[in-house]
Amino acid sequence: MIALLKIELYKIFKRPRTYISFGIIAAISFVIQLAMVSDGKTFVGFALQGITDQFDIHGTILNGYLIAYIILQSLLIHIPLLVALVAGDALAGEAGAGTLRLLLTKPISRVQIVLTKFLASFIYSLLLIIWLALVALALSLLLFGKGDLINLKSDTVIILLSNDIMWRYALAFLFAALAMTTIASLAIFLSSFAQNSIGPIISTMGIVIVFTLLSNLELPLFNLIKPYLFTTHVIGWKGFFEDPVPYSLIAKSATILLLYTVGFITATLVYFNQKDIKS
Amino acid sequence: MMRNIFLICFFLLGTVPPAFAIQADALYDQLNKKVLTVKDYTAQVKLKIDVNYMRVPQLNGTMFFKSPNKMRLERKGGLSILPKKNINLTLSNLIPTGKVAVLDQGTALYNGRKLRVLKIVPDDDQNQIILTKLWIDEDAVLVIHLETTTRNDGTIMMDMEYNNYASYALPDKVKILLDLKDYKLPKGITFDYDEWADTKTTKPSKSQKGTIEIFYSNYTINKGLSDLVFNKTND
Repeated sequence: MIALLKIELYKIFKRPRTYISFGIIAAISFVIQLAMVSDGKTFVGFALQGITDQFDIHGTILNGYLIAYIILQSLLIHIPLLVALVAGDALAGEAGAGTLRLLLTKPISRVQIVLTKFLASFIYSLLLIIWLALVALALSLLLFGKGDLINLKSDTVIILLSNDIMWRYALAFLFAALAMTTIASLAIFLSSFAQNSIGPIISTMGIVIVFTLLSNLELPLFNLIKPYLFTTHVIGWKGFFEDPVPYSLIAKSATILLLYTVGFITATLVYFNQKDIKS
Repeated sequence: MMRNIFLICFFLLGTVPPAFAIQADALYDQLNKKVLTVKDYTAQVKLKIDVNYMRVPQLNGTMFFKSPNKMRLERKGGLSILPKKNINLTLSNLIPTGKVAVLDQGTALYNGRKLRVLKIVPDDDQNQIILTKLWIDEDAVLVIHLETTTRNDGTIMMDMEYNNYASYALPDKVKILLDLKDYKLPKGITFDYDEWADTKTTKPSKSQKGTIEIFYSNYTINKGLSDLVFNKTND
């Protein structure tokens, strides 16, 4: 299994497309950091208008913690798409290249193949999140320094002291890794149906975009289904920036994401086990 | 006959020299002198903000004040939050300066304490302060509660508690009572996480009350604070 995982990881990191994701994350982070260096005060002024009408706020508002939070917020939709880019290729890519049938002639079970591909996608997602932590958080802290974090919600303003933030980011990134694993499992599930990787990648992107819209639209009809959409829970990392942290809510979100992940992988195993492999 | 006696009494009482008013003037002068003895101070402060739509931990910092109207809260590397008022939130700035009319309002119970109430109206029409109402502890000559109506910033209400620095009329605790407007941002921008589970949470009303409590300690008074302290900006 370990040898198989190594081969899978080798395959993933041999492809140039894998590094596009890391490049995109770095590019988005740099663009936001650059924008904040040049015109961050205007942005912050606009965002804080509702509060600065009534309060005088002084201090380093535009600090590394806030920039990292803005980057994470703006990458809400992008990172799932980058995960889909690799995970969607996991089985369909092999089928498209005609190597899946060859792979199945080896003494490896189909369960092993699916699980290995899932594990490889999980590791890739994890590395993507670690990279995000480096470019979004570490670099922002280096460029802008530390400071208290202002977290703006639609009807609440939360201020977190600078010595009370790092652990929140650590847990937020862990949660983000779990959320991206769910996306990876969805992409692998869709990948098991296809003969080329474009279909599952586009389908995963489509599902993520549509579900994210449903999760964020304020309509009573959608409110009924919101708690059951995985995209509603993908932003659970934001819970760690609340005061007090809604641990039970986050645990509920984590459980739902885990259930989705197990569900997608089980469905993939069931389908892939009885699939007639023709290529 | 009785009606005439009543009218005479009423007339006499109405024209009695205003003994209370003279005392009120003296009390106000005494208070003003006490407040004005403080030219500058530095103090360690703890801020507790209790506003419905804000969740802020206790903020610790240093408050700088220099007469007549310079005030700054400094938190090393941290954010400082104070109510937005063009007038500084110090006693000397909330009592009108120059020629004033002191109107005696008698005594009143405030938080269980019997206090003397004075209304201070500046003679100057252009004064930023329209009216200040003071609830004064007569024995200690200290303002316990204050309501100042300003030209541009509405009414400012403050409660004050004194201990170690009462001789300078410097409070150990100030509670600023706030009238606040609603705070709202579009959910499409904020992407709130808890919306799916928390649809029945209490939403803030259009107008709400809030308080900011400032606890002062370790005052350093009249040591000649430099103006440069107030020019620092770190945002």
